[in-house]
Amino acid sequence: MSGSELPRKEANVLKGHEGAVLAARFNNDGNYCLSCGKDRTIRLWNPHRGIHIKTYKSHGREVRDVHVTSDNSKLCSCGGDRQVFYWDVSTGRVIRKFRGHDSEVNAVKFNEYSSVVISAGYDRSVRAWDCRSHSTEPIQIIDTFSDSVMSVCLTKTEILAGSVDGTVRTFDIRIGREISDDLGQPVNCISLSNDGNCVLASCLDSTLRLLDRSTGELLQEYKGHTCKSYKMDSCLTNTDAHVTSGSEDGFIFFWDLVDASVVSTFRAHASVVTSFGRHKKLKQRVSSVVYLKWELPGTN
Amino acid sequence: MMDADEEDFVFIGTPIEREEELTSRKKKAVAEAAGQLRSLPSWKQEVRDEEGRRRFHGAFTGGFSAGYYNTVGTKEGWTPQTFTSSRKNRAEMKQQTIFNFLDEDEKEEMQGHSLGASLQFDTFGFTAAELARKQAEKEQQRRPSAIPGPVPDEMVLPAANSVGIKLLLKMGWRHGHSIRDSRRNSLYDARREGRKALLALCADDAKPSVAESVTDHESVAEQLDDDICASGNTPVYVLNPKQDMHGLGYDPFKHAPEFRERKRLRVSGNKESVNRRHTPMKDDLSASKSGKMAPGFGIGALEELDVEDEDIYASGSGYDFEETYVQEVEEPTRMIPDNKQKQGKNEQTVLAGFKVASNFDHEMERFDPPSIPNDFEPHHKFPAPLENEYKLADLPPPEVPPVEDNNMRILIEGFATLVARCGKLFEDLSKEKNKTNPLFCFLTGGNGHDYYARKLWEEQQKRKDERKQQLNLKSKPNVQKMTAEVRGKILGERPLERNSKDSGSSVSTVDVHLQFNLSDTFTKPASLNDIPESAKPFRDDPAKQERFERFLKEKYHGGLRTIDSGGASGMSESDRARERLDFEAATEKMEKAGWNKETNLSSKQQVFDISAMTGPQFTYSGMEQAKVPPVEEMMAKKMYPKREEFQWRPSSILCKRFDMIDPFMGKAPPPPRVKSRMETLIFTTDSVKTTRAEQSVTANKDALPVSQSEPQEKNKETNTREIDGEMQNANVERPVDLYKAIFSDDSEDEGEGSSRNQVEDTGKESEVANTTLNRLIAGDFLESLGKELGLEVPPEPIYSTSKATTSASLKERSSAGDVKTLPVGGTPSVPVSQNGALKVQEAVSGKSSHLDITKERRSDGNELGHGNPQSGDGKAIGTGNPENNSGKGKREKMVADNDRIRTGSTRHRSWSSSSSDDGRHKRHSRRRQNQRSSVSSEDEKNRRHSKRRWGDTEDERFSTHSKRQHSRNSASVSDSSEDLRNDDRSRSKEERGSSWARGSSGRNRKRSKHRTDRTDSPSRSYHGTKKERAESKGEKRKSRDRGRHSGSIKSDSNRKYR
Repeated sequence: MSGSELPRKEANVLKGHEGAVLAARFNNDGNYCLSCGKDRTIRLWNPHRGIHIKTYKSHGREVRDVHVTSDNSKLCSCGGDRQVFYWDVSTGRVIRKFRGHDSEVNAVKFNEYSSVVISAGYDRSVRAWDCRSHSTEPIQIIDTFSDSVMSVCLTKTEILAGSVDGTVRTFDIRIGREISDDLGQPVNCISLSNDGNCVLASCLDSTLRLLDRSTGELLQEYKGHTCKSYKMDSCLTNTDAHVTSGSEDGFIFFWDLVDASVVSTFRAHASVVTSFGRHKKLKQRVSSVVYLKWELPGTN
Repeated sequence: MMDADEEDFVFIGTPIEREEELTSRKKKAVAEAAGQLRSLPSWKQEVRDEEGRRRFHGAFTGGFSAGYYNTVGTKEGWTPQTFTSSRKNRAEMKQQTIFNFLDEDEKEEMQGHSLGASLQFDTFGFTAAELARKQAEKEQQRRPSAIPGPVPDEMVLPAANSVGIKLLLKMGWRHGHSIRDSRRNSLYDARREGRKALLALCADDAKPSVAESVTDHESVAEQLDDDICASGNTPVYVLNPKQDMHGLGYDPFKHAPEFRERKRLRVSGNKESVNRRHTPMKDDLSASKSGKMAPGFGIGALEELDVEDEDIYASGSGYDFEETYVQEVEEPTRMIPDNKQKQGKNEQTVLAGFKVASNFDHEMERFDPPSIPNDFEPHHKFPAPLENEYKLADLPPPEVPPVEDNNMRILIEGFATLVARCGKLFEDLSKEKNKTNPLFCFLTGGNGHDYYARKLWEEQQKRKDERKQQLNLKSKPNVQKMTAEVRGKILGERPLERNSKDSGSSVSTVDVHLQFNLSDTFTKPASLNDIPESAKPFRDDPAKQERFERFLKEKYHGGLRTIDSGGASGMSESDRARERLDFEAATEKMEKAGWNKETNLSSKQQVFDISAMTGPQFTYSGMEQAKVPPVEEMMAKKMYPKREEFQWRPSSILCKRFDMIDPFMGKAPPPPRVKSRMETLIFTTDSVKTTRAEQSVTANKDALPVSQSEPQEKNKETNTREIDGEMQNANVERPVDLYKAIFSDDSEDEGEGSSRNQVEDTGKESEVANTTLNRLIAGDFLESLGKELGLEVPPEPIYSTSKATTSASLKERSSAGDVKTLPVGGTPSVPVSQNGALKVQEAVSGKSSHLDITKERRSDGNELGHGNPQSGDGKAIGTGNPENNSGKGKREKMVADNDRIRTGSTRHRSWSSSSSDDGRHKRHSRRRQNQRSSVSSEDEKNRRHSKRRWGDTEDERFSTHSKRQHSRNSASVSDSSEDLRNDDRSRSKEERGSSWARGSSGRNRKRSKHRTDRTDSPSRSYHGTKKERAESKGEKRKSRDRGRHSGSIKSDSNRKYR
């Protein structure tokens, strides 16, 4: 895919949040998207038509992350109120609240079967919550981190988590091993490549680092954007051809995966680009990737 | 009458039952039996007689009939056992004895008996011994002896002779005699006869006598043998007193029994001649030689004993031993009397049958020492020439007065310096060169030689010291990093690339002169190439200066030298020498100055300095500094990413949920975490917090650290940023303090407070005001907490949580036993959450029993319920509720105070920000308030005092709080957390069970409920909460100010609402 096919244009602006938007995610078929923010709500949108569909309110503090099950029927969200919420999408009701994190919860993800919610928190722990049973106790607590855990990723057999202590840790459930890759810089966000062989870690020294997962080798570094203090998302495009990340100055950057050159940048926001979701499937769009843009309250 | 009769009778025994009773029982029994018989299985049926009693079946040892017709207890009879044996649980081999099948009484009977031979048939005396032993044991038990423990078997011998012995004795056997005698003899006789017959058959009769003699001899030997061995069967113990000083049981002759006899004889002090003495020994040997055969080899019945059969080891035939007398180590006591004997022995120590060897087999071989070559000098030469030189000059020559001739003296001194510097070689060379020169006669031992030697030595010493110094200086950078350049520098090597100017002068010279400066170039760094202007010692004489410079160049560059340097200018030899000495001195001076300068600097710098002085030839130094960051980066890159692997145990249920097999299946689960709940809550230590705060400061100018990870709205005012920082701290600390407040026992505080109730201290009023403020701010936090716990969700969970807190504070409630019941007019219909705090107020003022206040309050509550949209501040309430102005003096006042405090802090209040923002602001305002607390809060207090009659109702408890507060303020780090704790504590106090109190703490929840009751519009209710918050804050403060009564009041209201 060439750089020309990368998104440059603002497709839609979804207005409605009363505060900063902290995370935006597509659902699995890419027809809808979710956003959550400091106004303590989660909102469901149709991004293509720009319609606000539903608002999920229950969080007592800002909502920091949201994730959808593979069948789009359930949500999980987390935030500053130290709880992980498990929602029913259609009714908008909270099915379960998982309490146990000792501090803010930074990130949350479902596993492949949507049976477990993995959450990562400021309390230096990653916790796994069982959605099937009625227990609200965590079924697993991983507390080997030495600082706030910022981001979590899941494969079929592994849990990956990036922490401010500079490590990306892989917990292989199948063989019961923990692999810790120390990057030396606080890790802000991690994301997996589509083939699952690499992990992209966004570090707070304004650098994205691409690691080979099997060897822990540093494959490439991507620089040019600003990432020093905010949690910002970064990911690879669907073809794994480009790397993309937001920037604190409101730009979105695209790098070529191999030679780490900046392919494209455009100013999306007046303020920090905190998050964007990746459109999972090539659909009716010209580009395979659609980025949601969220205005921050300062400019809203 | 009947009564009287009955009284008279004495009833003995059981009275006979009456007829009807009997019959009825019979009938019943029959019926029962019939029923039972039908229903019960046969082995459970009881046999009864016609009267219903259990039938006694009348067997021998008898009893009632039972079971399977009095046979067994089970249907199957004896319960069969199955033999089971598995890998894990092996079946044991059970040995059955009769005791397994016997009853207790039978065992008892069996106990006394055991099989044993009676004395009559006790052939070997075992039984007798056994009996004796038992007897001894019994005796010992009766009177315990000095030696505890059982009697050793050996000490108890059978008292009686066994029957066998008796029999033997009767048959003529004696103690100490063998039993086998007769038998053996007969056998031997038979053999001998057989042999004789054989001999007679096969051999001619030529040597019958010989054979006869042999056999005779044999028979004699046999006889002798028998005599000796007669006692072999039964050992006869002969007491042998221990006379030597060997250890017990040590036998020095164990492997050489031949010497034992000899020893014995010697010891016995028999004064026979030695020859005589050892004759029996010899006899013994010969006797054994003839009689013994090799063990393990038998001879056939018809065989004759011949050479092969002999025991070669036992007999002396195979080997001829030459006696070497073994001198025993004798006991000292023996030595003295034996002295004389020894004298005699020395001549005749040889045993009989031995003789002294003429030559020794074993001889020490001696080797000649290695021959030393003639030209060998016993001195090691080290490869370094200079070291060698110093070594040689180790011995200082004697001090000698300087030579009279001044010129001569200078020459000698200079030359000495030169030699010391350039090495011995120079001396030799110049010696050779100046053989004829009378000036240099001191070299060859002429005039002033001694002085020269002394001077040389001094110079060498000096140089040695210098060198040491240099080495010391250089050793440090050495350690740090060794690059080719640095090493070269240290070694004084010339870098390959040279300055063109330098090279021009030095390389162009073609003629090769003797290079005796080489050693110098290796010891001195090439640091003095470029002579600074100031360091030109011969400025007045340019020609000389030029020469000097050339000299320097040559000296330090080493290598090639122009021939004209020696004196092309037509100088005399002596002049040249003198000039040269001058040059030397000058350079030395310069060097010293340079070194002094350099030694002041740190070693690393020095290296750089030197390289800087040498100019572009060491491009390294400049480069290095520039390269340092990249190098570090490189290092960092090399270091990271760093991969480590650990074992990690996923929980089994996690594996299940991920549809995987637990890799640790079957292994023991990890030990459960023993963390207490408090421990998990206190997860961030203070140090972490502070570092975090620091990070936040340094991380970015206008943004929060990532840990917070929220894009902050851009506040126009600068102070809000500080607030943010503070807020973060508070955020971090929150969970700790909250839970501490809930779980930790704060009844002590209460007790403390009550104990101090009597203490009146008006001076603490300002502090009180401070604490109230803190509480106020805490109210915000609680509020946000309330939201967190679920503002919009149905109130059940909230209820439970608050229950928890209340249960924690139950103790407190009970402690606040001095409840003052107040005739309060408040009714249950009053909106609870709204008026909670008001009630407090009312209750306090209830002391002065104002009913109108309650009314006012009630109306107030209603008012508040409607809420004022803009009532973020208390002031708005005053203006927004015009109807109630009359009765609300106090309230308004309170609110106004509150308002003032809040507005005192210039802050930007963003409407859309969450409650935490609110809290942040308030906190900040509180902080400010604290700073000027002494002024404003004092004011407030006074005002309040004037308005309300609180004077005597000041709460000491809060005064104590405030005291603490003050100290805390001084230690600003833990400040906010402590505040929070205070707040929480107060909250828990307020929450004590009473519904309204709960409402006041979790105001939001209650309010929300309330709101929904009244079906307010959401926006309005939202604002309402804002307002209420402010109000309740004010009220709370009041209540706290009058905190002593709060407990009682609350319980009061409790009662009211129950």
